[in-house]
Amino acid sequence: MTNKIVLAYFIYLPLALGLTLYVARTLFRNGRVFMLDIFRGKADIADSTNRLFEVGFYLLNMGFALKVLEIRRGLDSNQELVEVLADKVGGFAIYLGVMLFLNLYLFFRGRRKSRENRPLPPAGALMTEATL
Amino acid sequence: MNLNLLSYLLFFPAMLAIAVWTAQVSHRHGRVWMLRIFDGEAAFVDAVNNVLLVGCYVVNAGYLAVVIGAWEPIADLPAMLAVLTRRIATILFLLAWLHYQNIAVLLIWSRIKHRRQPIPPQP
Repeated sequence: MTNKIVLAYFIYLPLALGLTLYVARTLFRNGRVFMLDIFRGKADIADSTNRLFEVGFYLLNMGFALKVLEIRRGLDSNQELVEVLADKVGGFAIYLGVMLFLNLYLFFRGRRKSRENRPLPPAGALMTEATL
Repeated sequence: MNLNLLSYLLFFPAMLAIAVWTAQVSHRHGRVWMLRIFDGEAAFVDAVNNVLLVGCYVVNAGYLAVVIGAWEPIADLPAMLAVLTRRIATILFLLAWLHYQNIAVLLIWSRIKHRRQPIPPQP
């Protein structure tokens, strides 16, 4: 019975951490476009900020994955093992998805704010575009 | 074999395949709409689209797993078939609802956008 719990931990941990890694990588590989937009094409500061937020994302979500690891009930059969594991991993995946969408929303918000504060382009630029 | 475990083995891969397929179709064909909404900025649209695809995978797979965590005990084969079809039907309805929701968001967003900035008449 105790061994089943340990087995469950050993299945849960790689799954949860691997999922975090996969989601964070996808998010921040694509986050670069947003950061370039927010920092107006300054690639060095955009990449640094992106990387810093990526590390923050790892720490926060891996921390949460570890925090919810503990199984507070006995596991008597393989069926119970599968059910408890599915509940844990599934719950964590949904949490990760919510964090992903929250991050995407923050990216959008940053982009919008950056565009609002941007000065209008000089009139000449508009003229040439209109005459083209 | 335990009938509960057998139904998980049938339920999870089949529903995951359908969820992934739906997500990929939306990813492929939603792109055109997003290009319309974001003024043809392809790099930006692809970034958003990819993040949405992964979010869709993670949440759908997570929900399927949570459903397995709350499965009722199954006594015999007829009960298994009944429970399995009911669960599968629920998932399909949910996926369909999400899918129409996605279509509605794209349509409404695109309509708002083009009402605010009408397309200039071509000379």
